[in-house]
Amino acid sequence: MMRPASPAAPQELDAWLIWPALALLLFGLVMVYSASIATAEGSRFTGSQSAYFLIRHGVFLSIGLIVGAMAFQIPLRVWQQAAPWLFVASFALLLVVLVPHVGRSVNGAQRWLPLGPVSLQPSELTKLFVVLYAADYTTRKIADMDSFRRAFVPMAVVMLLVGGLLLKEPDFGAFVVIVCIAIGILFLGGINARLFSALVVVLLVGFVILIWVSPYRRERIFGFMDPWQDAYGRGYQLSHALIAFGRGEWLGVGLGASVEKLFYLPEAHTDFLLAVIAEELGFFGVVTVIALFALIVQRSFVIGRQALTLDRLYAGLVAQGIGIWIGVQAFINMGVNMGLLPTKGLTLPLMSFGGSGIVANCVALAILARVDYENRLLLRGLRL
Amino acid sequence: MKFASSPLLSQRLPAWRARLLLLGFLAAFAGLAGWSLYLQGFNSGFLQEKGALRYSRVLELSATRGRIMDRNGNVLAVSTPVKSIWAIPEDARLQPAQANALAALLEMDVRELQHKLASDRDFVFVKRQIPPDVADKVAALNLPGIHDQREYRRYYPAAEMSAHMLGFTGADDIGQEGVELALEKTLAGKAGSRRVIKDRRGQVIEDVESIRAPQDGKDVLLALDDKIQYLAYASLRQTIADSHAKAGGIVVLDAKSGEVLALVNLPTYNPNNRVKLSGAQLRNRALTDTFEPGSTMKPFTAALALDKGKYLVDTPIQTAPGWLTIGNATIHDSEAHGVLTVAQVIQKSSNIGAAKMALSFKPEEMWTMLDSLGFGSPLKLGFPGEVGGRLRPYKNWRPIEQATMAYGNGISVTLMQLARAYLVFARNGDLLPLSLTRLDSPPLAGKPIFTEQTAHEVRAMLEMVVMPGGTAPKAKVAGYRVAGKTGTAHKVEGGIYVNHYVASFVGFAPASDPRLVIAVMIDEPSGGSYYGGDVAAPVFSRVMAGSLRALGVEQDAPPMQAAVAVAPAKESM
Repeated sequence: MMRPASPAAPQELDAWLIWPALALLLFGLVMVYSASIATAEGSRFTGSQSAYFLIRHGVFLSIGLIVGAMAFQIPLRVWQQAAPWLFVASFALLLVVLVPHVGRSVNGAQRWLPLGPVSLQPSELTKLFVVLYAADYTTRKIADMDSFRRAFVPMAVVMLLVGGLLLKEPDFGAFVVIVCIAIGILFLGGINARLFSALVVVLLVGFVILIWVSPYRRERIFGFMDPWQDAYGRGYQLSHALIAFGRGEWLGVGLGASVEKLFYLPEAHTDFLLAVIAEELGFFGVVTVIALFALIVQRSFVIGRQALTLDRLYAGLVAQGIGIWIGVQAFINMGVNMGLLPTKGLTLPLMSFGGSGIVANCVALAILARVDYENRLLLRGLRL
Repeated sequence: MKFASSPLLSQRLPAWRARLLLLGFLAAFAGLAGWSLYLQGFNSGFLQEKGALRYSRVLELSATRGRIMDRNGNVLAVSTPVKSIWAIPEDARLQPAQANALAALLEMDVRELQHKLASDRDFVFVKRQIPPDVADKVAALNLPGIHDQREYRRYYPAAEMSAHMLGFTGADDIGQEGVELALEKTLAGKAGSRRVIKDRRGQVIEDVESIRAPQDGKDVLLALDDKIQYLAYASLRQTIADSHAKAGGIVVLDAKSGEVLALVNLPTYNPNNRVKLSGAQLRNRALTDTFEPGSTMKPFTAALALDKGKYLVDTPIQTAPGWLTIGNATIHDSEAHGVLTVAQVIQKSSNIGAAKMALSFKPEEMWTMLDSLGFGSPLKLGFPGEVGGRLRPYKNWRPIEQATMAYGNGISVTLMQLARAYLVFARNGDLLPLSLTRLDSPPLAGKPIFTEQTAHEVRAMLEMVVMPGGTAPKAKVAGYRVAGKTGTAHKVEGGIYVNHYVASFVGFAPASDPRLVIAVMIDEPSGGSYYGGDVAAPVFSRVMAGSLRALGVEQDAPPMQAAVAVAPAKESM
């Protein structure tokens, strides 16, 4: 129904969204190469090719851009219709990945489905589909947002089911992200404020009790606060990330000159990419990354608000939900890198190495751009 | 579009919620930026310090240890570059085929290799000191976590021959025995150092600063003469084999300078391959083992007697009937000689004659003489385990002790001490300090012990020992006049004399202007004769003959006359 070639259709996209996103994607590509070059060269797994991760990340990025361009063509209405089915599909994939010998396990976490030369990480798709689904759910239940039983309980049950599967992998980081997305969208969708506050209080109390009764868990969770206490054991990764920050100072040691990436910092090209940025490009590089993410989150909220004022409830919630996803995941990843949050395997959206993650991020941004595009169509008095 | 008409919409989705959430995000991002500012702008010193602990290393720049050469510049010890293979066990996850290939190259058991790589330490040596070409082959395998480093290995071209003289170094290139230890300060280089940054696999990735440049050790030119050392080694080995002796030693000194030209002990060892060494092989007997010298002490007794003016060379001494009772002890000669002159006491090696002379001294006089000859205190050449021997304080000497010390019982010495003490006769009564290294300008005169006249008189007596009728005609050397003294002593085991012997001979040549002092000691000869004149003297003769020729020392004896058939004298014990 949409005619991109229509003479009246807007030709431009939201520059404040697209350029920061492209900047992060390309910056990510450069930094993935820089962070992985030594590991790739020194590992038998990669066949000692220094560009091993660069090539793969470049391919993923291309796939992501192509799939994103395709996703952009799809109207939000279609996404909404598909949302429950996509959600069911991701649920099924999360089940399949847990089947022994089907899902692939790395470092004790069974998160990957091998698909020929690449492997699919269902939890990355789940994040996107949770945004689409939660927005659809909230849109459908908009009249019942005051009801604990009708608005909150079904969502909670569904999220606990999906969350349970994620924890089984385990992928605690993805679990936190989808819970944040779901709660965030319910909150934006107008769930009863008292109900919401009560919910937050219950969650907090539950969390506190959970860690209070188990000194072991307490230590696990708060160990990150003083990585120097056990700097060669549990604090190893974090202490090296912090050293990378310290070495970077204002302008960094220079692109490519990181020492931490030379086998000291594990996961330098995935979870701890920001630490390498901090070391090589300093405070300047870190602030640039933070600013670009802030800009993307801010644009998603603006685009979402615009959709809502156009009475496009689903599109608005999807846009803001994508903002929540990108914002929460970026915040957690950066917080972990800086030692503010316990270490949980979450990548930096748009930047870290990882096929499924990059493709899912690209699709999400394409949908966000699509919401903006449809807003522009409506503002020009065109029909969708 | 179906919600466009919903009356709930504007009411249900108040803008403040989205604004609050966005504000929350922006605040959180600002917080991250602030924390990053703290980490990178204000706490960076602390973090960099922590980082330096992890990967900044002070790298040793090994200095090459100096070479050891003999007096003519022949290399006796040299450091050759080798490599040591080490591993980071955590990184060294080898597949069985890789482990097998590595073990084969290093010639080690694959299980031993696996055991080393299973260590939970950060660093293990897999194999130390392997030839560089083998290390290159290991590097070509390109195994993860396996690295090599350059080291030096000490190589001793002369192997067994000079083992005790040179000693050896440990794996860390520090001298542990012999000259390697004695001259450690000169030989050892001063390792330099530089600060580098290493990656976790140990590769240097950045050279931060040079702290100190390495200083190579200095070469050492020993007093040792390779040719003489070889002669001494070969002759001693032959004799020990022939006489089925337990051990033996020989020392060659330059009488003009006090330089040690040769030092051999047997049994010996190969310093290049020091696995399964026994203590007996390692012992530097000439310096660490004492023995009762026996008759080789008599010339000192005679010299003191002459020096004090109590006796002249031809003063008669009654030694009949072949025994002498002092207190409740009796000493013997091997046969009754009757009246002997001082010279004959030395030539025939009469215990009674020596004892009678000794009893004319005050204990203090005799002790002072022995002490100033260097007996009783270590030579301090720098070798490990050097001992001084036994010289009891004179205050509680009993006459019998004084009498037996006159012929070398009740006193113990090392072979090196004995050889050095003979310098007084080879020189003009003065004693030089010994030198392990080559001296460019030999000392003109040493510490005077005896008068020049005494020294010459005793030298003449010692010449008679080697002549027909003396105890050691087998010590003679064609073309040269030789002087010397035999010694044959019971060994003391557990405080009592046992029927094992130490045969010795100390002498010098040419007697007209002595150039070399040679002392030979054979421990427990058991193949027939055990007399110094039979066992030790021939070694002396061979080494002395070869050495004098090698040094081109002018002959001082008329062409050898037909041997006069006179039975050699038996020395007393």
